[in-house]
Parts: sequence; C-alpha cells; structure tokens
Amino acid sequence: MGERLSRLAERTERMTIDISFIVTCFFEILAALPLTMVITVIPLIIGFWIGAVTALIRLYKVRILHRLADFYVSFLRGTPVVLHVLIIYFALPLLIARLSERFGWGIDTASIPILVFVLAAFSLTAGAYMSEIIRSGILSVNQGQLEAAYAVGMSTPQALWRIVLPQAIGVILPNLCNLFIGFLHTSTFAFTVSQMELLGKANVVASVNLKFLEAFIAAALIYWAMTIIAERITAFLEKRITAYNRGGIA
Amino acid sequence: MGKVFDAALIVEFLPKLLAYLPVTMFILAASLFFGGWLALLIALPRLYHVPILSQLAAVYVSFIRGTPVLIQLFLVFYGLPAFLQLFHLDVSRAHPLFFVIATYSLSSAAFFSETIRAAVGSVDRGQLEAAYAAGLTGRQAFVRIVLPQAAVIAFPNAANSVIGFLKDTSLAFSVGVMDMMGRGQTLVSATAHALEVYIGLAIIYYLVVIVLEKGFALAEKRLQRHERTWASA
Repeated sequence: MGERLSRLAERTERMTIDISFIVTCFFEILAALPLTMVITVIPLIIGFWIGAVTALIRLYKVRILHRLADFYVSFLRGTPVVLHVLIIYFALPLLIARLSERFGWGIDTASIPILVFVLAAFSLTAGAYMSEIIRSGILSVNQGQLEAAYAVGMSTPQALWRIVLPQAIGVILPNLCNLFIGFLHTSTFAFTVSQMELLGKANVVASVNLKFLEAFIAAALIYWAMTIIAERITAFLEKRITAYNRGGIA
Repeated sequence: MGKVFDAALIVEFLPKLLAYLPVTMFILAASLFFGGWLALLIALPRLYHVPILSQLAAVYVSFIRGTPVLIQLFLVFYGLPAFLQLFHLDVSRAHPLFFVIATYSLSSAAFFSETIRAAVGSVDRGQLEAAYAAGLTGRQAFVRIVLPQAAVIAFPNAANSVIGFLKDTSLAFSVGVMDMMGRGQTLVSATAHALEVYIGLAIIYYLVVIVLEKGFALAEKRLQRHERTWASA
C-alpha cells in the first residue's frame, strides 16, 4: 500500500516526460529480454507437444480421454491467463510436496525456482491454444492426402508426420505467429509472481528512479519492436513454406 | 501459503467474488461502448485512404497490437494525467476505474478497427456501386448498405475479441480497481487461502465465458437469418 501511495504522489507531482531517461532505461530494461524470450518460447515448444497430443485425442475421439481433452482446452481458453499463473504458483508446490512426502523423494519445494512454476503454467496455457490451432491445421489438410499416404503403405504416425504436418504447418503459420505475439505479451503476467522479465525489470527501474512513465514507455517500445520483427519473420517464412502451394500459372 | 487446501472454502468464496461480477461487467461494457465508437473513427480514415490520418491510425493500431495490455494499463495510469495536464485537466486523482476503462477502450478500439476494416473490405464492391446507382450519397451508402453487411461478417471475430477483453479485465486489479479479481486479492490477504480464491475466480470467469459464447452463437444465427446460402437458394 505504501508503494501505491508513493506512486500516486509521483503521478500528481511530475508532469513532464524525460526523453533522455527513456533512452537510458531502454537499454537497462533490454537486459531482461532473454528471460522474456525464455518465458515466451519454452512454453510454446512444450505447448506444441501438449497441443498436438490433445488435438489428436480430440480428432480421433479417444474414449474418455477426448472429453478430458475437450474440457482442458475449453477451461484454459475460457479463463484469464493471469489466474493460470497464480493457481499453478500456489498449487504445484503443494502437489509436489504431497507427492514427495508419500513417495519419499525428499524434494524441498522452496528450493524450486519460481520460474519453473511460471513455465509450467504458460506451457499448460499454450497447450490449450495450440490444440485448437493444430486441430484446425490438420482439418485443413485434404482427407485424400491421408488416404494416399496409407495407400503407399505408411503407418498413421508416418502419414501424420511426413504428409499432414508439413502441409498443416503452412496453413497454421499465421496462427502460430499470432500465438507467439500473444505469448510475448502474456509473458508480462510472470511479473505478478515477481519474475524479472521485461515488465518486472521496467518496474524496478521505474521504482528506483521514480520515473514510471518513462520506464513503461521504454518497455512498450521493446515489445512493439519484438512484435514487428515477429510479423516480418512470419511473412518471410510464410512465403517460403507455402511456395509449393502457389496458385496461378507463373 | 501456509494453510492446508480446503475445497469447501471455494464454495464459500464464490458468492463473495460473484458480488463483484457487476464491476467486471461494467468495465467490459463501458470499454466496449467507447472502444466501438473509437474503432469506427480509427477505421474510417484507413478505409477512405485519408492522407496523414490513415498513417497515424495505422501506427496507433500497430502500437496497441504490439504491446501487452498490462503495459498499456500502466502507460495510461501514469501517462494520461501528464497528457491531460497539457489541456489543464487534472485527472490524477480520478478513480482508478477511469484509467482502466480508458485503457480497455483505447485497446479494444485498435482491435475492433482491424475487424471493421477487414469486414468492410469483404463486402462486395457491387453493393456500393448499386447504392450509388440508386442515388444514395456516400454517407448513406456506407451507413445503410455497407455497414449492416459488414456487421454480420465482423460479428464472430468481434465476439471472440469481447471474450478476450473479458479475460483481460482481470488485470484491472494491478492499478487498484475493486473488480472480481481485486476482491479476490483482498480475500487472499484476509484468509491466506490463495489457491481456493483463485480457483473460485477461474470457475466464475469460465462460466461467464461459456454464457457469453452461447449468447454470441445465438446472436450470430439471428444476424445471419437473412443470408441466403447456396443450399437454400
């Protein structure tokens, strides 16, 4: 509460923007970019596999499991991500402590870095969003492709991996890019469990210098630049990956 | 943490949290109202290729879509008082709700303007030409002919965005607003049963999202009742 009061006081007193300080803290905050990338990319990679497995379970309507998968996807997509972070942050240590007690693993939950819980939470979230994207990608591939793969004697995993996936990737690439950008922005929620990613760092820089607006402008510029770079890379990749698939005559 | 997990507490917390659902819904409704009008203002210069204004709108949309909403919230909270000071308006002591609604209005406007742009772009050009041929003015043609058709096309996307914004409102507590999430935070400090509170909140958000999804699906069907499909034509 004291911190909030000092912030309010800061807001009422100083009404000019210190441009040179934006530049200074831009580079200071930029040092936190690697952690933001870790919190963004690792959950997407783990989430891709969770998503692929749940998408296949839902597509093949595996008994009982597909209902669980449906609920998992709909529940995580229907609740705020900041709650996923908070729930995992409180629930996972309890769960690990209980399991460790029962099986005598001797794990001290206090020694597990908070980052692990953050990555676990975001991976689960990413899995739910990935599941929908991968499902739409698989459904977009012509059924005949799968049949042709079977006809030449491929097994189902082979057909999915070699025939369906490469074509589906081209279709879902824009969605994957959007998800990356979404998760880049979502990674700011790690700040709520005191991770020193871009926003956490910006907040520290802001509190130390009592210049909140400048620090958040600098952080915003970093996120904006990252987003634009991601969009450019996607546009380039999309051209390459879908090159085989061009319509027209030229 | 400290205390043992007690599932019965979730049930006990639910009504306390639900009492603040109206605040959450108010933030959402107010932001959508202001955001919707602002979105039209942002989309129009880009649709009609107004020089300078359309470039400004494009930069605005790119910035909002390129930054996390939590950062936008802080930018508005710290920046808006400084900005309005230039016009001799002192809002630094305004209610935090004001800043939250301002943020989500500005944010949703950018997303909706893209939806509007895409939807208007997908209305058959012949419709506009037919409107002109029938003697409608540019304004009439846009409001009476293009916009209603664009609305039907835009609806599913807009509905998805609305659900996204509902989930985003859960960040309002970070500038001290007493919405559902804010009430949850006070329950956490009072009882130290964080997990039960957050699970209760997740259940409520999930139910609200399901109700909204069902409502939007019904509305979509109703909106599209005039659409002729190839099967019925």
